[in-house]
Amino acid sequence: MSGREMRDRVCRLAHPRAGVAFMATALLLVALPAAGQQPGDKGSSISKVTRLNRAPVSKEVLRVKLPTPSETTLPNGLRVLILEDHRFPLVNMNLIILGAGATAEPADLPGLASTTAAMLQEGTATRSSKQIAEETEKLGAEINFFAPFGGTTATMSASGLSDNFNEWFALALDELLRPAFPAAELAKWKQRAGVRLKQQRSSPQFLARERSSLAIYCANPDERSTCLPEARVSETAASIEAMTAERLASWHDARYVPQNAILAIAGDVETHALVAKLTHDFAAWKRSDLVDQPPPATRAAGERHVYLVDRPNSVQTTIWLGNIAIDRRDPDYVPVTVANRIFGGGPAARLFLNLREEKGYTYGVYSGFTAVRYAGPWAASGDVTRDVTEGAMHEFLYEITRLGKEPVPDAELDEARRSVVAAFAISLEQPERLINYAVDRAIYSLPADYWETYPAKISAVSAADVTRVAAKYLDPAKLQIVAVGEAKKVLPAFEKYGAVKLYDTQGKRETPPAN
Amino acid sequence: MRNRKMILTLGSLLLGVGMIAAGAAAAGGRQAAAQDLARTNAKPAAKPMAFPIEQHKLDNGLRVVFSVDHSAPVFGIAVTYDVGSRNERKGRTGFAHLFEHMMFQGSENVGKGEHFILILNNGGGMNGTTNEDRTNYFEQLPANQLDLALYLEADRMRALAVNEANLQNQRKAVKEERRLGIDNQPYGATDEALSDILYDNFAYKHSVIGSMDDLDAASLDDLKDFFRLYYAPNNAVLTLVGDFNPPEALAKIKKYFGGIASQPTPARPDLSEPPQTAERRRKMDDTFAETPRLDELFKVSPGEKAEWFAVEAISAILGGGQSSRLYQRLVKEKELAVSVDTDLENRPGPSPFQIEVSLRPGADFAAVEQIVQEELDRLQKEPVASWELEKVRLTSRRERAQRLRSSLARAVVIGELTAKFGDPNVINTSESRLDAVTPQDVQRAAQKYLSVNQRCIIETYPKQAAPGGAQ
Repeated sequence: MSGREMRDRVCRLAHPRAGVAFMATALLLVALPAAGQQPGDKGSSISKVTRLNRAPVSKEVLRVKLPTPSETTLPNGLRVLILEDHRFPLVNMNLIILGAGATAEPADLPGLASTTAAMLQEGTATRSSKQIAEETEKLGAEINFFAPFGGTTATMSASGLSDNFNEWFALALDELLRPAFPAAELAKWKQRAGVRLKQQRSSPQFLARERSSLAIYCANPDERSTCLPEARVSETAASIEAMTAERLASWHDARYVPQNAILAIAGDVETHALVAKLTHDFAAWKRSDLVDQPPPATRAAGERHVYLVDRPNSVQTTIWLGNIAIDRRDPDYVPVTVANRIFGGGPAARLFLNLREEKGYTYGVYSGFTAVRYAGPWAASGDVTRDVTEGAMHEFLYEITRLGKEPVPDAELDEARRSVVAAFAISLEQPERLINYAVDRAIYSLPADYWETYPAKISAVSAADVTRVAAKYLDPAKLQIVAVGEAKKVLPAFEKYGAVKLYDTQGKRETPPAN
Repeated sequence: MRNRKMILTLGSLLLGVGMIAAGAAAAGGRQAAAQDLARTNAKPAAKPMAFPIEQHKLDNGLRVVFSVDHSAPVFGIAVTYDVGSRNERKGRTGFAHLFEHMMFQGSENVGKGEHFILILNNGGGMNGTTNEDRTNYFEQLPANQLDLALYLEADRMRALAVNEANLQNQRKAVKEERRLGIDNQPYGATDEALSDILYDNFAYKHSVIGSMDDLDAASLDDLKDFFRLYYAPNNAVLTLVGDFNPPEALAKIKKYFGGIASQPTPARPDLSEPPQTAERRRKMDDTFAETPRLDELFKVSPGEKAEWFAVEAISAILGGGQSSRLYQRLVKEKELAVSVDTDLENRPGPSPFQIEVSLRPGADFAAVEQIVQEELDRLQKEPVASWELEKVRLTSRRERAQRLRSSLARAVVIGELTAKFGDPNVINTSESRLDAVTPQDVQRAAQKYLSVNQRCIIETYPKQAAPGGAQ
């Protein structure tokens, strides 16, 4: 039950999607005592992770067949991927339009892409906002458009029952192709957007995302003109004010073009008949000359900076440490995937086992990386109780340093690789995951056999690969360190890592508290 | 209550299972039967959505439910224990959930943390969750790892190994979970106050996460008593969904679980509530919140009753999607609010129904409350439109299909329904029961449960925090 509008779906505090890797008992137990007694650790006995190896594990290798969606290109250039799945009376579709995302929008109008997407639901040539909502929901369907900050695409996501597919698909097409951008609805949208601008500042996770994005995507985070488009995480009061129906309509006209789009459909459909229908229904969507341009290139920071957002009364400190790593086409994607599993990709990874299962500093700490059409961050993050901020920082740095220096033990590496491959195999149960693999291949121009050979590529990652990518992308001397918490309590925990730049929750520079 | 419907051992990161499980039991949908006369625009009969159910009971009382699906070489398993925060006593709030964390701390033949590692290394997803009425543990694995899953679940049901160091460690993790979800978030205190204002009976009145003091007070002896009382085979349901051979699986279940001794059946807690005869109201200041929020709460029918399905329809008609009555009036027409949510839980006792309105700053609380009341009054006075019930049915059918595609989600939902309502077939009957709801049913349910004297209201106001940094 939700009347909420689409929210920004990008989470730059990149969290892993699935579970992970390993652990080598001997290594942790030998290595930890050096870091065992940290400030804030009240000296309770360490709660050790142990392995008894008595549970029965099948060593049989599962033969997995990778179903392949059918691929067609319509006369207007729209690429179509279809995967039939008749188990449930459902159809899910994503229409992904490259070049219509936030990274392509003009610097003076942050939010143009997301506002355009949101306003497609607020009126067409023949339907009012209310009619769209009633007709869609009466069919049990859900149709959303979004273009989140940091994204390179705009997406239409529609799902509904196969029983009445033709009816809700017609609504989706009406919204996509014939929006009216009614002035009255835009005024209402602006009012709500203004409130959301205020609301988001109450979340420590938002504040960490905002500050970390500025840290990695700006030459000087205090000077917005030095920031790449990737740095934006929300509209501004000024840009909301400046949105006009004309700006939205011209963005839609120019950017929502079929030759730059991919339509992925999974569910209870018949491919042949559907392709014929799509060819007919999309005939009115004309191609243009617009060539999709890659987003501006990002660059890793060359020296360490420390940023602290002062959020009074915080009982936890939200910590983020990372730097720009790789884009999706980088050959290091595979070794980084394995290294991340070992480092912080899930509850069986080093960060979780150390900071939560051994130290009890946190409910959860993870690492993750954003590898899209531009190189995003590889980062570790978590919320820790205020009084152990210093100890938690010590452990974060300890784990980062260790990953880049000490070769991963064979058993730990083997388990990490095995878990990545097995998780991939299990994901094939879900048609959306399957079709997303095909979409990734299309968006990033990956080789035709990329997914068939993915398990073999993962299995070939060596301990030296892991050390190399960790040392290269997570160099402690170049890390960007971002925290949100109560400055008067936690500032000293960060000062040992460099001069701390202090901000208030509105994003303004603060002077350090006098002690 | 949406925000604390269920708390997880690991957060909701793993394979999205947290999302799948949350509220899944509330799903309804449309069956082919066109028994509702209000539906004028009858569609061709929809494909029925039913899942095979096979039931067994071991000699020690363990209930076993199978639902076979060979479409992918994967299975989902859930072990659901008939214990939740409703079973806690005063001074030990948060205990059921703390205990759930301890179930990952090792057993006779499984080391601390080894459970995570074994499941995840084999590609699986797993978690444990606690709510008011039940505690569950679940994992998904490739079809060839059935022995592993059964061994891990049986070992901790039979011989959980707890020690002081692990208890201290997980107590800290749970306190961090509390800080992350409540103490450091806007509206955290409000979310915790929802059940407190709504219920009189301690069973549902206190929060699942519990108080810091009570968490500190939990001892190793408490853990041992709790384990003996509630973690017995006769107080659990094992559900297995996906790619397996039932006779072979049953033989394995008997091998791993058969030797675990049953225990005396724990007394079922009294969940009854005295009738509420006057409105309740609370005003709260929130130092983190930036905008005001209005919450209205009602105690309604226990789950899975005919009246409960009528309230489920009310919930969708008032707050489901942008066509909903409250969204249209408060957000679009009057622009007094920026979002509206409604939520109904599916509990064996009186279920909570919540309306949550996020106000536009400066908007008049009384005006918002007035409009909510007008809509509640209207439900009592006039029948709802047939298109609104059509929306309820079809939306529910879609959401249910999406949720239940994963074998793991099905295992979790079937286990939850069996533990709470005693019958795994509930997963196959809720669709037609929601379909059967008529405009008159909706009106009667609104009259019975949603009167002014039955409402509880919380007004939350942003309060400027004292400056903490610059002096």
